[in-house]
Amino acid sequence: MSSTNDNNDTEAYILLTLADSNLPTGAFVASSGLESHVKHGFSSLSSSVEMATVNFVRDSLGSYARTALPFVADAHILVSNYCSAVEQSRLQETGEQMKERTNVLKALTDLDELYHTMTLNHVARRASISQGVALLTLYSKGFARPSSLSAFTATESQGQEDQMKNLLEAFKLKARREEVFGHLPVCWGMLTAALGLNLERAQYLHLFLHCRGLLSASVRLNDLGPYAAQQVLFHAVQPLIATEMDSIKHLRTGLLVDPQTIFDEPSQGPANTWPLGEILAARHDLQHSRIFNS
Amino acid sequence: MDSFPAKIHSGTGRITLTLHSDKATLAELSSTYPLKLLSPYIQRHIAIVYLLTYGGGLVCGNYPPYFLHKTSRTETINAQGTTKVFKTRPGHRLASVLPKPGIESQHISSSKSSQFTSQHLHFRVHPGSSLLLLPDPVTCFRNASYQQIQKFNVEGDGSLVLLDWITPGRISIGEEWAFSRYYSLNEVWHDGKCIAKDVQLLEGSEESDDPASTTRHRIPQRTLQDRLRPYGCYAMIILYGPQVQPILEDLEARYAQETVFKTRTPSELIWSLSPIGALKAGGIVRVAGLEADLVKRWLKGALSGIEAHMVGRDIYRRVFP
Repeated sequence: MSSTNDNNDTEAYILLTLADSNLPTGAFVASSGLESHVKHGFSSLSSSVEMATVNFVRDSLGSYARTALPFVADAHILVSNYCSAVEQSRLQETGEQMKERTNVLKALTDLDELYHTMTLNHVARRASISQGVALLTLYSKGFARPSSLSAFTATESQGQEDQMKNLLEAFKLKARREEVFGHLPVCWGMLTAALGLNLERAQYLHLFLHCRGLLSASVRLNDLGPYAAQQVLFHAVQPLIATEMDSIKHLRTGLLVDPQTIFDEPSQGPANTWPLGEILAARHDLQHSRIFNS
Repeated sequence: MDSFPAKIHSGTGRITLTLHSDKATLAELSSTYPLKLLSPYIQRHIAIVYLLTYGGGLVCGNYPPYFLHKTSRTETINAQGTTKVFKTRPGHRLASVLPKPGIESQHISSSKSSQFTSQHLHFRVHPGSSLLLLPDPVTCFRNASYQQIQKFNVEGDGSLVLLDWITPGRISIGEEWAFSRYYSLNEVWHDGKCIAKDVQLLEGSEESDDPASTTRHRIPQRTLQDRLRPYGCYAMIILYGPQVQPILEDLEARYAQETVFKTRTPSELIWSLSPIGALKAGGIVRVAGLEADLVKRWLKGALSGIEAHMVGRDIYRRVFP
C-alpha cells in the first residue's frame, strides 16, 4: 500500500513539474492554427469571442487527440517496455541490451516516420518537429540526472536511469543527424515513459498542454483576457479533455500490433477529424503579419 | 499488398491497362454485381474507366465516380473496388461487402448493430504511366455510414492525380452534414515507401448510448455542421510524380499570390497547398467552398494543367464540363 502511495506521490510530482508553464516546450511560438483561424474571420461564426475560442479549442482538441494520442501511446509503450526489460535483467550494457535498444530505436523511428506521412501540412509538421526536439533537449538538460546530484539516487534505479538516458540521447542524436524528425507526440510519449509517468496520465497531460497552449495563444492574440482564459481552462476544457480521453485513449497506430491480431484501422487508428482546421493551419504562413510560428 | 486475388467476389472488379504499339488496351475489365465498370473511351494512349454501382436496393448511384488512366509506355494499371451504399439502417443489411483475401475489410463489431458501406480501391501505377482518379464528390445521406480505403502504389517515374471530395448531403431537402460517419483513407506509396497517408474521419455527434459518460462530463452539443461551417464542400487532391510537375508549378504560383489580411467574415472558398515526398515530388491541396459547384469551378481552373500537359481538352471537359 505504501509503495502505491509513493508511486502516486512521485507521479503527482512529475505531473506538477511537467505542467509548469515555464518549460521551454515551444508553446510560446505555436498557436496550432488559432491565429490563422481568427485572421480568416472565423470567430464571427460564434456568439462571442469567448465562445469562438472555446469552439476552436474543442475542434482542435478533437482532431489533435485523434491524430496524435495513438502515437503518444505507442511511443510510451515502447519505452516503458524497454524500461521494464532493463529493470528485470539488471544488467550493465550487454550485447543483449544493445540489441534491444537498437530494436526500440527502430520502432520509434518507424512511428516518427508514420506521423510524418500522416501530417500532410507543412506548418503543423514544422511546429511538431520543433516542439518534439525541444522536448528531447529538455529531457537531457533538465531531467537527466547530473553526476553532481547522483547522491540523490537509489543505487538500484541508477542503471535503469542510465539506460533511459542513453536511449533518449541516441534518439536525439538521430534527430540531429536528420535520420528521424522528432515529432512532438512521439517525443512526448518517450519523455513521459522515461520519467515513469503512466500512459493515461501522459496522454491526459498532453491534451491539457495542447489546450492550455491554445488559451495562452488566445491571450497573446488579445482575444481573451487572462482571467477569461483561466475560466475557460478551468470550466470548459476539463470536461472536453475527459470526453476525448474516454473515446480516444485506447486507440493505437497499428505499428506495434502483432500480426496475429486484427487491427481495424478505421475504428482503432489515427484520423484527422477537422478538415477546416487543417486548411486554416496550413494557411498560417500566408498571413500578411503574424506573431506565431504555427 | 500487390497480390490481387484471382477470383472475383461480389461487388468487385479489376482493370488492367496495357499499351500495344502506342495504343492503350484494356487487357482486363471485369466486375461483378452490383459494381459496374464502363470504358466508353480509349484514345491513343489514354483510357477512361467509369466506376458505378447500381440496383439491388442500394441507395446510391447518383454520383458515379469515374477515373481515367493514361499510360505512355507499355504499362498496366490494376484496380479493385467493392460495393458502395449510402444509407445505413441499423439491423438491415442492404448489400454485402465480402472480405477478400489480401484486401481485407473487416468490421470490428461495435455495440451498435449498424452496418456500414465500404469501398476499397487499390491501384498500381507502373513506371512511365499516370493514373488520374477524378470522381464526383461523395454524398452521404442522412444516417449514412461510409468507409473508403484507397491505396496507390506508384512505381519509378509513374504519376498520380487523386481527387477525393465530399458534399454535405441532399441540400435540396435540407440535409446538411447529417450522416453518421464518413471515413476516407488515402495512402500513396512510391517504390515501397509510404509518402502520404491522409485519413479523414467525419462523425456526427452521437446521441450517447452510455448515460454514465454524459452525466460525468457535461458538454454542450456541437454538431458536424457546426465544425464545418460555413462550407458545404471539402476536397483533397494529391499530386505526385514527374508528369504533375507543371500542374504543381501552376498551383505554387497561385498559392504565392494568396495573402491573408484580417477579415471579419470567412471567404467563400479557401485552399491550402503543402509539399509531400522528397524534393518537391508531390503536393497536397485542400479546398473548402460554400458549395460543390464553386469548388468544382475552382478545381477546373486550378487543375487546368492536366488539360494542357496530360490528357487534352476532350477528356478534361468530360471531367470538368
